[in-house]
Amino acid sequence: MAEAATPLRERSIERLEKGFGLVFPFFAALVVASLVLLVIGKNPLLVFSLIAEEAFGSTNRIAATLSATTPLLFTGVATAICFRAGVFNVGVEGAFVVGGLGAAFIGFALPSSLGILLVPIGFALAATVSAFWLAVPGYLLARYEIEEVVSTLMLNFVALGVTGYLVNGPLLSEKSGNNVTPLIHESAELVRLIPPSTLHAGFLVGLFILAAYGFWIRRTPAGIESAIVGQNRRFASAVGISIPATIILVMVISGIVSGLGGASHALGQLHRFAEGFSPGYGFTGMAVALLGRNTAIGILFGSILFGALASAGTTVQLFSDIPLDIVNIIEGTVMIFAVVELGRIALFRRKAVK
Amino acid sequence: MRLGAVGLSKAYGSVQANRNVSLAVKPQEIHAIVGENGAGKSTLMRLLQGIEQPDAGEIIVDDVPCRISSPRQAFVSGIGMIHQEFMLAPELTLLENLVLGDEPVTGPLARIDWNAARESGDAHAAQAGIEVDWDRKAGTTPVHIQQYVEIIRLLRRGTRVLIMDEPTSVLAPKQVEDLFDLLRKLRDAGTTVLFISHKLKEVMALADRVTVMRRGEVTFSSGVNETAISEVAHHVIGGLDLEQQDPTTGEVSSRKADERVLEVASLRAPAIERSHPLKGIEMFVGAGEIVGLAGVSGNGQSELVECLVGLRKPSSGQIFLEGRDITYATNRQRRDAGLGYVSADRRHEGLALDASIEINSIAGSQRRKPIRRGKIVDLGAMRRTAAERLSKLDVRFGSLRDAVRSLSGGNQQRTVFARETATDPTLLVVSQPTRGVDLRGIAAIHAILHSIRAKGASILLVSEELEEIIDLSDRVYVIADGRIVGETSGDIADVATVGQMMLTGTAQDG
Repeated sequence: MAEAATPLRERSIERLEKGFGLVFPFFAALVVASLVLLVIGKNPLLVFSLIAEEAFGSTNRIAATLSATTPLLFTGVATAICFRAGVFNVGVEGAFVVGGLGAAFIGFALPSSLGILLVPIGFALAATVSAFWLAVPGYLLARYEIEEVVSTLMLNFVALGVTGYLVNGPLLSEKSGNNVTPLIHESAELVRLIPPSTLHAGFLVGLFILAAYGFWIRRTPAGIESAIVGQNRRFASAVGISIPATIILVMVISGIVSGLGGASHALGQLHRFAEGFSPGYGFTGMAVALLGRNTAIGILFGSILFGALASAGTTVQLFSDIPLDIVNIIEGTVMIFAVVELGRIALFRRKAVK
Repeated sequence: MRLGAVGLSKAYGSVQANRNVSLAVKPQEIHAIVGENGAGKSTLMRLLQGIEQPDAGEIIVDDVPCRISSPRQAFVSGIGMIHQEFMLAPELTLLENLVLGDEPVTGPLARIDWNAARESGDAHAAQAGIEVDWDRKAGTTPVHIQQYVEIIRLLRRGTRVLIMDEPTSVLAPKQVEDLFDLLRKLRDAGTTVLFISHKLKEVMALADRVTVMRRGEVTFSSGVNETAISEVAHHVIGGLDLEQQDPTTGEVSSRKADERVLEVASLRAPAIERSHPLKGIEMFVGAGEIVGLAGVSGNGQSELVECLVGLRKPSSGQIFLEGRDITYATNRQRRDAGLGYVSADRRHEGLALDASIEINSIAGSQRRKPIRRGKIVDLGAMRRTAAERLSKLDVRFGSLRDAVRSLSGGNQQRTVFARETATDPTLLVVSQPTRGVDLRGIAAIHAILHSIRAKGASILLVSEELEEIIDLSDRVYVIADGRIVGETSGDIADVATVGQMMLTGTAQDG
C-alpha cells in the first residue's frame, strides 16, 4: 500500500535535496555576510553585486575566476574520490604540494632541449610522487587500520617541511632571494589561454580529469565498487569486494590527481615552486567535494564558486573599502553550511525511516 | 477496560497507517496483536505510547478517555513498553540498569541507596519467581535474563500495562516457556500484558484475547478460546490459503547425499571481542540437500557462517567446497567457486540500505558479463540484469534507482535472494532468512528455498526458528557452545528433541 506512494515522493525529495544541497549553503552564507555588512554599515546588495562583477563582469574577470578555479578542480576530485569510498583523506594538500615541487623540478632541472616533452615528464613525475605519497597512508589504513584522518593530516606537515627545506636549500634559486626554486624553462610552461589572464591549459586538464572522474564513478567496476564500499563496508566485503584493495586504489588515484593538480599549478600558474605554493587548495577542495556531493557536476559548480570568491576577493578590496574579510566570511560560511547541510539531511533521513 | 482505543486514525503523508482502529484490553488480560509487517501494529503502539499523536480518535485508560502526549505521560499512566531490542545499558550492572532514571536515594546529599535498590529488585524478582544476579553487567547477561530485568524495571516503576514487541524473537523454546509462565504469573498478580507477535502458535498458547490488524485496520478480534489458529491466520494474511503454502515437499529424488558439496573438518576459530569461539566443527552438506543448523543464538553459528563465506579467518581446520579447499580463499574466490550467501543481518550486511535497488541486486556481479563489457560497465545491461533478477523473485519496487531502504522487509529480503541466487550457486548459505519478515513473506521465502533446491543447489539453513528448520531441512545439525552436538534427519526431527539438544548441548539417543 505504501509502496506505490513512497518511491515517487522519495525521488522528488532526493532531487530537491541534491539541488538544495549545493544552493542552500551558498544562500546561508550570503545571509550571514549580509548581517555582517549591515552591522558595519554597508549595503549588502551593492557589495554582492560588486563581488559578482569582479568575478564574472568581463572576459578578463571570468578568466581570472577560472584560473582560480583550476587547482580546485583537481583537489576537489582528489578528495571526492576518497570521500565517496568512505576514506577520509585530508592529505590532498600535501600531495598537491609535493607534486608541484616534482613538476617544477623537472621544469628547471632537465635540459631545455627536451622542449615540450618537459610538460608530460613533469606531469608524470608529479603524479608518481603524489601517488606514492598517498599510497603510504592508504596502505597503513588498509593493512593496519591506522586512522587515515590522522596519518594524512600529519603528512601535510611533512610535505610542507620537506618542500620548505628543499626550496631553501638544495633547490633554492640562485638568482632570486629565498624560498623559491629557479623558474622553469619556457618550453615547460603551459599555454596561457586568454592572455593577459593567468588562465592556462591546466584548466583544460582539470576539466578532463573531472570528466574522467565522472565516467569512472559511473561506468567502471572499480568506480561502482568504491561507492559500495563507501555506502556499507560490511555489505561490500560480503559481496566479494576487497576493502583493502579499494582503499589503496582510491588513495593512489587521489594522489595521482593531486599530483597532476600540483604540476598544473607549478607549470601553468607560478612557473616555479615557492614556499606557500598552495594557499590551502587541498582544504578548499574538501569543501568543494562536500558541497558538490562527490558528483562531477557538483564539483564543477563548487570549484567555480570558490574560484569566483577567490578571484573577486583579491580585487574587491583594491577598488573599494570593503574588507577582504567579507569574502573570507562568505567562503567560511559556505564551508560550514556545506557540512551542516549534510548532517541535517542524514538526520532527516533517519527520522523519516523510523 | 484498562487500556483501549476508539477510532484511532493516523496517516503518514499519503499512507494511512492506522484507520479507525479500536481496541479494548481488559484488566489482567494477556492481549496479543498480530499482523503482517506494515499492518499498523507499530503505529498503534507508538500512539498508545504517546510517541505519535493520532489524527482522529482517542485513547482510553481505565475507562477514561485521555490524551497521551508523550512517552513520559504514558509511563505515569502506568503504560510501559519493552522494545524488540532491549534498552539496557550494556556497560552497567543489572542493578544499575534496574534503577536507572529512578534511583532510591538517602540523606541530603542524595546518595544512591543501593541496598534499597537491591531489596526492591529482589522483591519483584521473588514475586515473579525468578532469580537475578544483580551485579552482572547487562552486556554479558543472557538475553532472557535481560528481558526479565526490563520487565522488573517497568514493574518497579509502577507499570500496570506491559507492552511487549515480539518478546520471543530472541529466545530459545525453553526460555519462551519460562517467559510465558512469568507473564501468566504477572497477569494473575494484576498486570495487563499487550504483546505483538508474528508467531501464531505462541499467541494461541499464551494470550487470552487476540486482535488481528491488516492494512492499518483491525480485522478480527476474539477470545483465544473461541477461535482457532487457522481462523486467525486467515485474517492475518487476508484470504491467502495457508495450506497451499505448506512447505514439506519431499520431492528430492535426485538426492545424492554422498556427493558432498560442503565439507567442514575440525574447524576452529578464535573468539573476537564478544563473539563465540568455534571448537572443532565437523559437518557436511550433500548435493541437493537442505541442511539445517539449529542452535540458541550466540552458540557459534554466526562465526561458523562467517568462516564459511570468507568473512572470518579460522585458526585451524578445513573447509571444502565441492572438494576444493577454500579454507583461506577470499570471499570473491568462494563466490566464483559457486557460493551464495544470504546474511542474517539484512540491514547491515545483506544490503546497502542507502544504495539503489539496482546496485543492491547486481553487487558482486559488476565484474561479470554482461554487466562488464571490456573494461567498462554497460549501464543498460546492468539495468536489465537487475530488473530480470528482481522480477524472477517477484520483488515489488517503484524504480530501480530508489534506495533499497524504501522497500518493505519482505521485499528487501527477496532482493537479497534475487542477487544471491542469480549466479546459480552450488551452495547457498542462508542465515536467519525470515527474521523480521511477515507471514506471507515467510511463505514466499520458504518457497524460494525449495525452488533453489529443486534446481540442484544445496542449502545450509541457519535459523533460530526451530519449526522453520525442521519443516525445511533434510537433515539438522545442532550447534551448542561452538560444537556440533547432534545430528538428526528431518523426517524424525521434532521440536522437542532438537530443542532439548540446543538447550542441554548434548545429543539424545534415538
